[in-house]
Amino acid sequence: MARVNILGIACNWSPWCCYNAAGQAGLELPSNFKIMRVMCIGRINQALILRAFEHGADGVILLECEDSDCRYGPGPELGHSNVARVRRLLHYLGIGQKRLKEMTFQADQKQELVDALWEFAGRIEKMGPNPGKPGRERKAS
Amino acid sequence: MKLDSPEIKRIIKERSLYMCLECGKCSASCPRLLTGKEYSPRLLAHKLIAEPGDLAYIQNAVWECLTCGLCEERCPSGVQFSQAILDLRAELSKALGLTGFRAHDGAVHSWMRIMTSPRLEQNRLDWLTPELKVATDGPVAFFTGCVPYFDVFFSNIGVDTLSLSSDAIRLLNFLDIEPVVLGNERCCGHDLLWTGDRDNFAALCRLNYQEFKDHGVEEVITNCPECYQALGTYMPQVIEGFDLKVTLLIDLLEREVNKGGLSFRPLEQKVTYQDPCRLGRGAGRYEEPRNLLKRVPGLELVEMANNRHSAICCGNSSFINCDAFSKRIQAARLDQARDTGAETLVTACPKCMIHTSCALRDPAPGPQAPLKVRGLVSILAEQIEWAQDETPRRKSGAGGGSRGDKI
Repeated sequence: MARVNILGIACNWSPWCCYNAAGQAGLELPSNFKIMRVMCIGRINQALILRAFEHGADGVILLECEDSDCRYGPGPELGHSNVARVRRLLHYLGIGQKRLKEMTFQADQKQELVDALWEFAGRIEKMGPNPGKPGRERKAS
Repeated sequence: MKLDSPEIKRIIKERSLYMCLECGKCSASCPRLLTGKEYSPRLLAHKLIAEPGDLAYIQNAVWECLTCGLCEERCPSGVQFSQAILDLRAELSKALGLTGFRAHDGAVHSWMRIMTSPRLEQNRLDWLTPELKVATDGPVAFFTGCVPYFDVFFSNIGVDTLSLSSDAIRLLNFLDIEPVVLGNERCCGHDLLWTGDRDNFAALCRLNYQEFKDHGVEEVITNCPECYQALGTYMPQVIEGFDLKVTLLIDLLEREVNKGGLSFRPLEQKVTYQDPCRLGRGAGRYEEPRNLLKRVPGLELVEMANNRHSAICCGNSSFINCDAFSKRIQAARLDQARDTGAETLVTACPKCMIHTSCALRDPAPGPQAPLKVRGLVSILAEQIEWAQDETPRRKSGAGGGSRGDKI
């Protein structure tokens, strides 16, 4: 099966708590999964998601707090609006909307987080590599 | 690093920078400098020749330029400033990486680079409505460009750049041309080229050329001045044996309208026209769009203080260097447009549409007269009709007729 790269972008608060707790509890995560922590998912814009695909990610999952749990206010709402727009761009590009997923977690949902990551990894494995993947590694830009 | 490599020397010589008389007309016309930015084309030319060790200044200045070509227009010595910037960006990005500041975090450039992947199969035609008649194979193609992507990306400012393409196809259909619209055309690469990324520009050119050839295309019609420049001027430099004819839609329209038989329904409106840099100073089309607008009865075309050769850029080019100074350029341009008393700002370039629409949303001091932004083709597509006593030229072989027959 094609080896795929999965990038998770996690909010520092609830999802990162889950991720830490999952690590402490020794729960296994997909080996092709890399995580990137941001203070709030509102920090992520369309460009950063697109750039992940430009540089060879095969799937991107945004791990967010629930709307009402946001420490800053509008973070998850901003996330939803970015995701909705990038999804349409990914559809136009032929990369496919299903390679971008958005999930919300409460601070105590470590098992749910791990399950979601396995499920997403399985889906992306099945879909294979992103057709927009560069032939050779791109320089950071 | 010192910028005295033979390659840089060649650029200085080829683009006539040695001819500079230091008269300063370039700096005195530069919209960026006039809004207060610490950037001067004259000083850049001087530094390149006399102080190539000042890398910090040169590197910064090379990415500051709007490449609008206004300085070039006024230069008495014929210095090809925009071309020099184009070459320098390619050289500097080779040596130092793509260091220019990219607006919108480089998202636009990201999707353009994604499009260099040959395995990509896009779904870019979702916007086509059944009333638009298009073909999949044939000799005449319409090049859409990035407008479907722009409308999604910029949906927060409510700009409708797709209208430029759908109305262009409506006009072509009206002239009995059923253009090929390729489902897998790539970006023309204009923005990558002008940000110094020549490798990916060349990759896009090769993919597009192959795509045209695979669908039997001989002539490419485009409505976007930047696509026109990239396909018509720079693509032949990349592709050996390039044999496509690249036509600007307004040229075709003017030809057709001059043949007679067409007329326009009246539109009582006062409009002003923004010359896109790549269409005006880039391709010398100053009068063609104006002549087309003047044919619409009732439409009053009023000129802004800076028009034609001295038109001001919409504030930004190739989606780099958008900053507070760009905003000032845009605000000043919108003021000029409002001063004419026009209710609509007409332009022919999707980027001008995006930038003016964005600037229109900015909070302004005091009450402002309302101003709409519309594409030139949208007005024409809405008003065009066959003159009474004239039958549509279907199958008459005139203009697009012969092409229409085949499809």
